[in-house]
Amino acid sequence: MGYHCIMFTDETLDSVGTESSWRRSLQSVQESRSCQTLPLHTAEAEVQALHVTNNGTQTDAQDCFAEYHETSGDHPGLKEFLDGIEEMVIKELIKNSRSHAFDGFEVNWVDHKETVACIHRLQHPDAQSRGLQVTSLSWSCTGSVIACAFGRVDDGDWNTERCFVCTWNLDRRGLNPKRPDLTIDVASAVMCLSFHPQRPSLIAGGLYSGEVVVWDTSRTQDPILAQTGMSADTHREPVYQVHWVPGSRRGELDVMSAGSGGRVLQWRVEGVEGRLVLASGYALVRQQVPMINTLSKARGGSSIGVTALALSPWDLDSFLVGSEGGLVLKCAFSSQTVSAALPDGESVTLRAPAQFCFSPSSGPVHSLHCSPFHRNLFVSGGTDGLAHLHSLLQAEPLLALRVCDSSYVFAVRWSPTRPLVFAAATGQGLVQIFDLGRRSLRAATTIDQETGGKPVYCLEFNPRQTHLLAAGNGDGTINIWQLSGNLTEQGPRETAQLEQLANEVAD
Amino acid sequence: MAEVEETLKRIQCQKGVQGIIIANAEGIPIKTTLDNASTVQYAGLIHQLLMKARSTVRDIDPQNDLTFLRIRSKKNEIMIAPDKDYFLIVIQNPSE
Repeated sequence: MGYHCIMFTDETLDSVGTESSWRRSLQSVQESRSCQTLPLHTAEAEVQALHVTNNGTQTDAQDCFAEYHETSGDHPGLKEFLDGIEEMVIKELIKNSRSHAFDGFEVNWVDHKETVACIHRLQHPDAQSRGLQVTSLSWSCTGSVIACAFGRVDDGDWNTERCFVCTWNLDRRGLNPKRPDLTIDVASAVMCLSFHPQRPSLIAGGLYSGEVVVWDTSRTQDPILAQTGMSADTHREPVYQVHWVPGSRRGELDVMSAGSGGRVLQWRVEGVEGRLVLASGYALVRQQVPMINTLSKARGGSSIGVTALALSPWDLDSFLVGSEGGLVLKCAFSSQTVSAALPDGESVTLRAPAQFCFSPSSGPVHSLHCSPFHRNLFVSGGTDGLAHLHSLLQAEPLLALRVCDSSYVFAVRWSPTRPLVFAAATGQGLVQIFDLGRRSLRAATTIDQETGGKPVYCLEFNPRQTHLLAAGNGDGTINIWQLSGNLTEQGPRETAQLEQLANEVAD
Repeated sequence: MAEVEETLKRIQCQKGVQGIIIANAEGIPIKTTLDNASTVQYAGLIHQLLMKARSTVRDIDPQNDLTFLRIRSKKNEIMIAPDKDYFLIVIQNPSE
């Protein structure tokens, strides 16, 4: 028997290659190009000054002395008077600054109300039966008359039903809360109202149809003093904000209206002709808003619908705009940039007013209000259920206060007497009043409107009788609240505390 | 004249002083560190109060006379130093 050894040896095979059927070498389509500029022409030249002169000026010192002599001659004995009392006055000032004599000393001149009470509950039976809501409130400049606009905000459809504006005079003895003193019929829903700040009988209103009307309540025949009518200048979308601003003519006020079409228009009142004439206008478009970071998430229509407007009592040139998309913008009346919005036959060139964009919120901004006690502060409220305290100096808000959970904030207003207090109206039917001087960020007082869960749409403090607060509800009623003393009496250090809050601007 | 300005500056530098007004015997302001509207208001109102205070003191005792008047309010203190030809108003907020 034998074994067959199988010997393993290395073997090499030829490599196999396949040609690609679709790829070709790119070498074959190569071209080369070159270029060169034409030769440059250069030339040299020299220059030298032939004539040189020196000159100098100096003021005369003597004139100053002559002036001093004149004025001291006007007040003989002034120097002696001051020399005599200076020491005593300075001694008293120093003693006073160190004194603790008056620490904690408070005087009660007036009986302070301890509680918040509802003194009136106004309603219009016709509006209630039709289920209309109170969309806007305004107090007259005298503080006695309150005007209420009835309309519809819960209807998604284009609204064409007739609505009203009602006024009640709260100081009249025969006040009937169920019967307004004056009812004005309006062709479409009224979305905003504003009383004239000096003439107690004029009211400006913005309608759902885009028209702006000025009513004169002292007229018996036809209360309409002036209106825009439907012209090329009118808003095409509902007007959500109406304000009186210093006008084009000296001593008179114009009406400023803003709507969801992105237009902010200023109208001159021509009472004789019964028309509102467009004096100047602004159009807001996305491309012309100075954004801090590109917010290109939202697409569609480049115009920015305006839902909130606030005028600054400190700076007559600037105004704040809040939009449907959550933007809060600082704008200027004097802006000269022409708007990029397509002209639509308007009689004036529309301008782009936006100068600065604050940090946006996630839903429409319903309300903005500038503080009457500090030039840089304003408060905003929108659909995120928060009230933001902003400074004009920075984009991020200084404070965010939770007003309500899972509900919208429809209106925010600063108190006219207490620098640290503001009120916010919620979609759950509550009015929350916040006091920034307290440690806690929760509301100082909550007022239940007792509307059965219907939202509170508007809120206004009485400018004259500053302890009164009016709130208009979704069930068509208006509550007039009398606030307690602790919400209306200004404390001694409040302005300083507000100043401190405003200075917390990040560097 | 520079001495008058210096005296006013020394008073202005004291702690908490918000404003100084010097008015003549008729209540017309001649020097002030506040704005025009406030100055006119202060000078006019305080002149009336000064006259009333002085006559009150002299009615109680004809040999007596007013030397200094201080009004303390919730927000600040107004000090008035009167004289034959002029009076000085200093507004101070002592808690500042």
